[in-house]
Amino acid sequence: MLINFPYIERDSPIHRLDTRAKLLFLLALGLAVAQTSNFWFMLVALILASIYYGLAHLKWSETRKAWLLIFWINIVIVLGNFFLTGGHVVRGADLTQEHILTYFPFIGFTAHAPFIGPAMLPLSVENITFLITQAMRNFSIALVAISLPYTTNPSHISSAIKGLGIPDSIAYAVDLTFRFLPTVGRDFSTTMDAQRARGFELDKLRGGPFGKIARMAPLVVPLVIGSIIGAEDIINAMELRCFGVTKRTWLIELRARSLDRILIALIIAAFLAITILNILGGYYPDSIIHFMHIQGIPTFLTR
Amino acid sequence: MSIATNALQLPGAGNVSFRPAIVIPLLFAALFGPWVGFFAGGVGNLLGDWLSGSGVWWNWDLGNGLIGLITGLVVYYTLGRYLKRKNIIFAEVFAILGIVVGIGFASITDIWVSKLSFSAAVIGDFIPSAASDLINGLILLPILLIAYTAAVRRSGR
Repeated sequence: MLINFPYIERDSPIHRLDTRAKLLFLLALGLAVAQTSNFWFMLVALILASIYYGLAHLKWSETRKAWLLIFWINIVIVLGNFFLTGGHVVRGADLTQEHILTYFPFIGFTAHAPFIGPAMLPLSVENITFLITQAMRNFSIALVAISLPYTTNPSHISSAIKGLGIPDSIAYAVDLTFRFLPTVGRDFSTTMDAQRARGFELDKLRGGPFGKIARMAPLVVPLVIGSIIGAEDIINAMELRCFGVTKRTWLIELRARSLDRILIALIIAAFLAITILNILGGYYPDSIIHFMHIQGIPTFLTR
Repeated sequence: MSIATNALQLPGAGNVSFRPAIVIPLLFAALFGPWVGFFAGGVGNLLGDWLSGSGVWWNWDLGNGLIGLITGLVVYYTLGRYLKRKNIIFAEVFAILGIVVGIGFASITDIWVSKLSFSAAVIGDFIPSAASDLINGLILLPILLIAYTAAVRRSGR
């Protein structure tokens, strides 16, 4: 089995961006958009994430597989959430008066046996806005999350983790995990070929779910045990070379440019500002800073 | 391993593969303790998502890390040795606990991260993922523990 990292070497602003800035941006964006269900806030986040993704210069043919999965998951999350809540989907926003457009027949949960039966699902301005906001939230995170593996050299990950203040031992373990993959891939192919020669076919396993899993043992056992024994050899070699006794140096040293430092500072400042606004907005419901606690539906839609 | 076995789908549950790779953090946790389990689960999930190009999803990485962390607590009882049947049963019990808490964490944080309702998080996230992990973990973990014990005995390590 050939293991390929999705990284694509290209000269784009996002490829040149410091890996620490990319990791921080993803984390900050994910935590910021989780704090609100305001339509306009989410639209700004989606636009920012789209610009970021656009700057990565990734082609549809390169990321198609990941995007199809994300589209499918997003549809399942948004629509599944709507139907499973019986249309009462709006969360994280003040909902004092709902503007119902229509009801349509569906099935829903009931308080008595068989606990499921016909129910009318409300379609309102609020829940439609919520569904759109939820989709925008998921897509804005996905735009940054998907671009990360395609624009970040895998050999920079451990240096970036070290650069974020994580101890050497953990950063080096992550580095080893990435380096160990081709070896595991080669062992997988060797084991698979050896078992095929004995009549084992992974895609032709018989039996139900339990039987199929149990019949995977001839592949899983030698692969896992072989990997552990191989890892123990690496540990012994590292101990022989006194790993962990003194401070490590790294072959690849990430050097942040002025632009990277400014971006990192901006990301942290923006995230802190959003979090403070969210907290303060909860205490001042009549103030403008309460905007993160409302849906922000345009008034002409609710007339 | 997760890439190679993605073709095997659970009957009835949409887009949920068998995930036999979940046994890796369970095994490492049961043999080497909670921190190794946490690392194997968290970084393993991160790497799986990274390789498939589907991005980085911190709450699921952390949830998988928790699976390893909680399963690894069993070493305080078994000391990482599985010569007795009782120890293997204990490892299975901690694996169940780890999967329920870890997948539970990832699913429940989706209520905040993706603004899911509780029922959607349970029915859409928790049940298919936890069921798949429990089936795989509980079948493959004892097989691997026995195989590892035999390999250690043979190699004299």
